[in-house]
This record gives sequence, C-alpha cells and structure tokens, in this order.
Amino acid sequence: MDTIKLYLHSMRMLIRSQLEYPASFILQTIAQLVMEGGEMLAVILLVDRFERMNRWEAGDLFFFFGIMSVTFYLTECFGRGITGNFPYLIRTGQLDTFLARPRGILTQVLCSAVDPRRITCIAVGIAALVMGCHLSHVTWTVLKAALFAEAVVCGFFLLLGLFTVEGIFCIYSVKSVELVNALTYGGRSACQYPVDAFPRPLRVLFTVLAPFALTLQQPASVILDKPLFDGPVWTAFLSPLSGIVVFALVWLWFQRTMRYYRSTGS
Amino acid sequence: MAFIHAVKLEKRFIVREKRKKGTLLREKKTVHALQDVSFEIEQGELVGYIGPNGAGKSTSVKILSGILTPDGGDVTVGGIVPWKERRKHVRRIGVVFGQRTQLWWDVPIRDSYDLLKDIYRIPGADYERRLKELAEALQLGDLLRTPLRQLSLGQRMRAELCGSLIHRPELLFLDEPTIGLDAVSKLALRDFLKWENREYGTTVLLTTHDMEDIVALCPRVMVLGHGKKLFDGALGDLLSRYDTVRTVSVRYEEQAASPRLPASVPLVREGENLIITYSPEAFPTSEMIALLQGAGTIRELTVQPRNIDHLVADMYREMDL
Amino acid sequence: MQYRGAVLGGVICQVFFGLILIAVYRTLYAGKPQSMPLERITSYVWLQQAFFRMLLASDPDLLDKIRTGGIAYDLCRPLNLYGFYYVRIAAQKLTGSLMRAAPMLVFALLLPKGWGLAAPATPAGLLLAAWGLGLGLLCVSALENITMGFTMRTLDSRGMQAMLNLLMMIFSGNVLPLILFPDSWQKVITLLPYAQLLDAPIRLYTGEAALSEAPGMMMIQLGWTIVLTALGVLFWQRNQRRMEIQGG
Repeated sequence: MDTIKLYLHSMRMLIRSQLEYPASFILQTIAQLVMEGGEMLAVILLVDRFERMNRWEAGDLFFFFGIMSVTFYLTECFGRGITGNFPYLIRTGQLDTFLARPRGILTQVLCSAVDPRRITCIAVGIAALVMGCHLSHVTWTVLKAALFAEAVVCGFFLLLGLFTVEGIFCIYSVKSVELVNALTYGGRSACQYPVDAFPRPLRVLFTVLAPFALTLQQPASVILDKPLFDGPVWTAFLSPLSGIVVFALVWLWFQRTMRYYRSTGS
Repeated sequence: MAFIHAVKLEKRFIVREKRKKGTLLREKKTVHALQDVSFEIEQGELVGYIGPNGAGKSTSVKILSGILTPDGGDVTVGGIVPWKERRKHVRRIGVVFGQRTQLWWDVPIRDSYDLLKDIYRIPGADYERRLKELAEALQLGDLLRTPLRQLSLGQRMRAELCGSLIHRPELLFLDEPTIGLDAVSKLALRDFLKWENREYGTTVLLTTHDMEDIVALCPRVMVLGHGKKLFDGALGDLLSRYDTVRTVSVRYEEQAASPRLPASVPLVREGENLIITYSPEAFPTSEMIALLQGAGTIRELTVQPRNIDHLVADMYREMDL
Repeated sequence: MQYRGAVLGGVICQVFFGLILIAVYRTLYAGKPQSMPLERITSYVWLQQAFFRMLLASDPDLLDKIRTGGIAYDLCRPLNLYGFYYVRIAAQKLTGSLMRAAPMLVFALLLPKGWGLAAPATPAGLLLAAWGLGLGLLCVSALENITMGFTMRTLDSRGMQAMLNLLMMIFSGNVLPLILFPDSWQKVITLLPYAQLLDAPIRLYTGEAALSEAPGMMMIQLGWTIVLTALGVLFWQRNQRRMEIQGG
C-alpha cells in the first residue's frame, strides 16, 4: 500500500515537471502518435496487399498488433525507469542515490521516471484492438476480459524483465548493450505478428527465452477463438505467467550482479 | 564497541586495459582501491577524510553507506553490517554527494522533500517540525517554492543538505560539500554543520580537498593514500610534522633598512616588503623579531605559518602519493 | 576502434531485425505471391538495414552544442558554417554506415536465395545504384541540416526532430518497403525527397527500375538535393544573423 502511495506520489511529481515545458511535451506526444501510426499503417498496407498471413485474417492481425502495442507502450510509459533510464542510472552512478535510501531498488527505479507521451501510442494500439475485434467478430465474455487483462499485466512484467537485462550488462560493463535490443525492440517488432509466421529458431526464441507467444499471443488467439497452441481452456490462463517467471529470474540475476556494482565516479 | 567499526577493509576493481597489438584478449589488471583499512568512529565525532584523488575515500564512504560490497573485511555501523541489511542501515544515514543531486530538478524543492518524507516514511508532524527547523538553520525560506534548477550552487548545496537530513540521520556522509561554493556560502555551511553536530550529536564523516573545511570542522583527520590508511589523529599533530617553516613579511619606514640575517636564511624583496623564510626550530621566532626590530623602524610585520595546502602537498609527496 | 563492441552489437541487432522482417514477408508471400519476385523484397530489406545509419541523426554532440550555446565558438571561425556542418554530417554518415554496411552485406550475400541479398540485376545497375547512393547521401545530409536549423531556432526541438525523423523512416521505406505500398501511392511517394535517399538506389540495384529510368530518377535526386541545400543555406543564414544579434 505504502509503496503504491509512493509510486503515485512520484508519478504526480514527474508529470508535473514534464508539463513545465508544455510545447515540447505536446509536440513529442504527437510525434509518438505519428510513429506508432506509421507502424500501424505498415500492417494495414501489408494486409491490403497480402490479405492474410497463414490462417490469420486482417482482424486477427490487427488484434495481435494491438495487444502488443498496448502492452509495450504501457511498459514504456509506466516502466520508463527501467525501459529508458536504467542503463543510464547505472553508468552515471545515479543508482548510488537509490542505494542510499531505505527502499527497494526496483521501487525507486520505477518511481524515477514516467513517460506520459506514450499515451498516443497506447491509443493507436487500442484503435487496432477495436478494429481487430470488429473485423474478426470477437464475442467478449468476462473470462476473455480477465484473460486479456492478465496477458497485458504479464506482458508488462516480461518486458520489464527483458529491459532489465540491459542494466545487468551495464553493471558487467559490457559495451554492446544494443544486443539486448534484439530481445526488447526486436521482440516487439516480431511479435506484433503471430509467432507461427517465423521459422523454428525464432519461434523457440519467442516462446521460451522471451515468451511473448505465451504471455500475449496465446491469450490473444484464445480471445479470437483460434488458439495458437492447443490445450484445455485453463492453460490459456497459465501460459501468460511465464512473463512473471522471466521477470523474477532476471530480477534475481540482477540482485546477484549488484555485488559487482562499481558505482562510477570518484 | 564503537559506533562505526571497520576492520581490514578491502576492495578491488578489475580494470580492463587497452588491447595490445597482436593479442586477442584484453589484459585485466586488478586495482586495489582499499587495502587493509581499519578504523573506529564514535558517535558524535566530526571526522575529516583526506587524500589525493583516487586514494579510496569515496570507495570507503560507499562501503560504509551500503552502496558497495567490500571484497574483504568487516564493517558494522551501530551493530549493523551496511550491505547486508541495506535498508535498515540507510534509514539512519544521510548522504550528500557533492556533484550529484538527490533532489528532483524541475520541481520546487519543497515538493522533493515531500517525496522524501514518503520514501523515508517520516510521520507528518515530525516532518513539518524538522523541515521548519532545517529551513531556518539553512536559510531556505522562500527557496522552498523554487525549482532546483533555478538555484545557485550555494543554495543548491543547502537544499541538498536539508534533503539528506530531513529524516534525522545519526550519521552523515559528505563528499566534497564545499566544492565550487563562494566564501560566504562555505562559512555558512560550516557553521550549519557544527550546529547540527552539536545540537543532535550527528556523527559526520567529511571527505574534502578543501583543507579549510577540515581546519574549521574536524578535530580528527584520517589520511588515505593508494587505498591505505596513512594517518589517523588530530589535525594539529599531522600538521606539526610538516609545519616546519614560517614566513615573515616586514616593511620598514626607511626604504634602505636591511636586517642582517645569517646566510642560511633567505631574504627576498617584494616591492616595499621583505620576505624572510625561516625554520622556527633553528631560529626561534622571538629572536627573529628582535633581529628585525634592530634594523629599523617597523611599519608593518606579519608572521605566517605555511599555507595549509602546501603542507598537505608536502605530506602527500613525502608519503609518496 | 574503441567502439568496436558497440558497433558489433548494433550490427547483430540490425541483422536480427532484417531476419524478422524477411521471415514475415516470406510467410505473407507463401499465402499470396506477388508479381515482383521475393528476392527483390529480401534484397530491399537488407540494403535498407545496412544503410539504416545513414538516415539517423548522426551527431548528438552537435545538437548538444547548439542547445548549450557551445556553437558560439564555431560562429567565431572564419568559415561558412553551413558548409562546415554539411561536410561534417556527410562524413559521419558515410563512415558510420559503411562500417556497419560492409559486414552486414557480406553476411546477407551468404544467405540462401529467398533469405539473403541477391546479386545486382545488372552490373550497370550496381554502378548506378552506387552513384545514386552518393546522391542520396548528399540529399539526406541536406535534410539533416534543415532539421539542425530548426534546433537552432527553438533550442528544444526534440518534438520537431522526432516528427521529421519519423516521416523519414516511413517514407524512406524503412518501416515498409516502398514497393509494398499500394501502387497508386507509389506514384506520389517515390517523388518525395525521402524516397531519394535509399529507395531509389535500391530500385536500381534490384532491377525494379529499368536502366532507362535511371536518368529520370537521378534528375529527381539531384533536383531535391539542390532544393534542400538551397533551403538549408537560406535557413542557416537567417539563423546566423539572428544569433549574432542575440549574442551581442
């Protein structure tokens, strides 16, 4: 409770400080809209030209795009401390300040940044979801809604976990942090399409190592009534939890790595 | 047992060297940031921590504040091992890193303190009382409503101090708190630290390059060099070892006056002033003054110990730092 | 060469993106083959990925310099500022993208047909593509100098810059190959300056554009380069005059 209060308090303050520069804020928010709109446009144009991808029709593809987009940008917005600032915090030794306070590192890093500009990206994702539901004639039930919420929350944690790897690399002072982008941004680009579009190695990568297929796509496909992986209905509720598992493992790894934290600066 | 108890602290860093031609892997070199450093600090002490850059001052402060884990040795602060029970430990400490802010850049500093209140879980009434007191002592007043980015360097340091003391820490670490401050701000800051220490018995460990800070604040100094502790004791004791030279500046009414000094004592003429450097051990100051008086009518005379920065530089040189 | 690790990481990541995109197009093609052969798409993707660096804003230092006022030093130098930065940007883009493009293209050439980079349609096409890439470099440097002009004007122009960069990403064919846009759109978007950077040379390489079309394409490239450079020069001159007045 206390932690949530702290998080909300931090968010209020950060958002207020970003609004200190309103013109820049508005322009950047619009720029985000153009960016995600461009990605969406690409999918629309592909569907216009190719009509379908394996057994997935236009509406299904929009739905997959939408769930990925909403989850990814929710993470970028509320998990900005990790998705954007984490390597920077470590490299500049700013993490010292957090370590010298009586709160968890994760709490403080998450409290250190928010990116409300992403709201337009999330809106594009929602638009894609609505289009997808409409075209694929999705019938919503309470269970499906719950599954959707679970998928988004688990996807949020999966992404936080993957982005944290960048921070871990920074502590080991590895220079090629871009490699991790293959999992994070690469995962987003790839898994806005259902994984059965990919050859086996990529499929395995996005099912086991960075399990977007289990956290986001299996629930999405069940909501579309065209399950990606066969199995009893309850397994659809189980598979997203893999995102939490990845997050927990990465976070354990991070805490072990902190022993090697050097805190740059004199 | 003492409040801070550090035994045989050791910390190594592995530095990757530039790759040499013809080798595939870069060589790794181990640098000993701290080696066998032990000390004790009692509650309420004001201790100065000096040493040239890279001596290991910051590293040891970071270990004491639970940020870094040492590779060897033991530390307890009030019975707690900092890096093992980090959260419990840091609740009782305040840290000011001179060149790094812990406040939020774009919001009024009062808002930053409000957030710190939540972070440290300070009860509302305590917080208000403490903030009022600190704002008064640090003369923050109207600045509370100003965003950090609009504050001058001196104001910012005061704001930082307020932030790091708002939860009433028993122990305060200061890393170069007076760096870049003007004279007035420096004096005010030192007065405040003395006040805080006297009023609440806050233990203060101060690293600095400004010897004036140490003279003004710290009865005790520790000198660190190459990761080892080289001296621990009263500042006076440290200085008397190196403080072997005095300088006299004298001006006579008569332009031509010229004291007759032994050949071993150098004399330099700077405008109307005569500058004489001597060792009080070989040539007691009273004799020197008597001798100078004999040479004419003195208009002005000053005797100065050597500049403290020179002393420290001599000391570092002798310790081969 | 200190950044060897970073460059390598970047290249591997870029290759990964390329593979993902190609996998997607392959699957789509399997469902509904198009008139243009798949190899043309895969070559297109690789060439786009390889020279991606050319499109990115190349010099964060320069932007910082403008923001912090450090540019005042350069203003004191007796040289044509626009020319100075133009050359600097172009040089950075050239070295930055060649360093990354070379290993990626070698890798892509080694991949099997349908995945990798196909050989150029004709030797003449390759030469024309290289020539076109050079023109594209001039064109993109001119574009970036205009963005830089905006930065000088407003100091905090991250929004504006982001917007211009995005237009570039979409209409240069980086997000989706321009040859996959609806045919009716292509008539317009291939005329935009963004299409002159990479899309035009790639079409010459893959043979999407016949050799007879080359002179026309080059004229468009050259035209845009001249127009954009002229615009940039004018913009900078006005900025400079203003800054000198501000600086007092």
